Amino acid sequence: MDLLQPRHRLLRRRFLQLSGLSGISLVLGGCGSNLFAETVNDAFEPLNQRVETLLFKPQTPVPEFPPSAIEPEALLINSFGETPRLNPATFRLVIDGEVNNPLSLSMDEIRRMPLTSMIIRHVCVEGWAAIVQWGGVRLRDLVQLVQPKNSARYVYFQSADGYSESWDLDSVLHPQTLMAYQKNDRPLPVDNGAPLRLASPVKLGYKQSKWVTRITLVNELMPSKGYWEDRGYEWYAGL
Amino acid sequence: MTSTSAKRSRPAPKQAIQAKLFHSLNIIGLILMTTSGLQIYNANPVFGGRGGWPFPDLFLLGGGLANGRHWHFAAMWLFSLNLLGYGVYILLTRRWKQRFASSADLKALKASQNEKRKTYAWHRLVYTAIIPILLLAILSGMGMYKPAQFPWIVDLFGSWQALRVVHFITVPTVVVFSLAHSLLGLKVGTMRLVRSIFW
Repeated sequence: MDLLQPRHRLLRRRFLQLSGLSGISLVLGGCGSNLFAETVNDAFEPLNQRVETLLFKPQTPVPEFPPSAIEPEALLINSFGETPRLNPATFRLVIDGEVNNPLSLSMDEIRRMPLTSMIIRHVCVEGWAAIVQWGGVRLRDLVQLVQPKNSARYVYFQSADGYSESWDLDSVLHPQTLMAYQKNDRPLPVDNGAPLRLASPVKLGYKQSKWVTRITLVNELMPSKGYWEDRGYEWYAGL
Repeated sequence: MTSTSAKRSRPAPKQAIQAKLFHSLNIIGLILMTTSGLQIYNANPVFGGRGGWPFPDLFLLGGGLANGRHWHFAAMWLFSLNLLGYGVYILLTRRWKQRFASSADLKALKASQNEKRKTYAWHRLVYTAIIPILLLAILSGMGMYKPAQFPWIVDLFGSWQALRVVHFITVPTVVVFSLAHSLLGLKVGTMRLVRSIFW
């Protein structure tokens, strides 16, 4: 019995050490961590967003790449559900909200507007990136058409598959933020968002909605800020 | 008896409070940055992409990409401001002249017959090397965080993939150097030296 006791005690000490460690890992790695991460995020996201906004140069184009740099295979397809098949002949893009002249545009009308082509790096929140050519109409040109009210500060994007996003107006008005209908010098494939999608070098990929059917200017953000934002992802997501 | 007399004859090594504070906060910052960084890594492994090998949960912080990013972009302030504060401190107090590896240490490694002097030189060399690794982690991280605002950083590394590889490689590198730093520290000054940097 005497011989067994120290060993027993050692085991108990080891057990207590282990339970302490697993307690820490429960807090950091388990469901406790989500609560903790949200607290951390509540404390730091406002600060980070201010710094990100400060770094962002709304009118300065991001340097582009030569056509030889395009990586056609690198752009992976991400979507949260079904791929909607929209008929380009009957498709309408609605732009409304805090504007003086709400519009509903057909693809023909959009294609008649000045075409902007850019070769930029598309960066996914997952960590991968792809150099892509996008062609389309500048979102700032569309916004100009609908004559936004002075109070408009944010823009919501509704997609045909139910996806939604919201952006700050400065990023919307950036000269390289496009409603794109071309990818790598070809008509935009359905998997990449045809007939019309957002494309921009200044936001992460999940901000760049595909199959966009409605653009709404608003004064304030609504409780729902976007599909991934509502699931814990950062709202600003600037690059 | 021998140990108490040894204690009496040689005073315990002393560290400045600023050095202790930096050292401890740096360990906390590094643990938060690497564990949340590996969580982000797992969303799309640098090596192999979606088919790549992910790190096990034990090394991860956040429980998912969104929370991993929250941790990473919160802890980055602790990690980088702590390093900045330390940099200002050693510059203002001119400690950078004595506290880091110098040509004297390199000479000792080449020519000295004194094993203790050589181990000491190795130790200084190893912990000095950690500083540029930390700076490289911050630089490559800034390039990935804001590639549209700092495109020159991505260009500096050549490509996006090269940038990702470098940013990731700082993790195993800093782990290896920290282990070597701990072991050499033990060899140079036993637990007395190790204890002196903490309290």
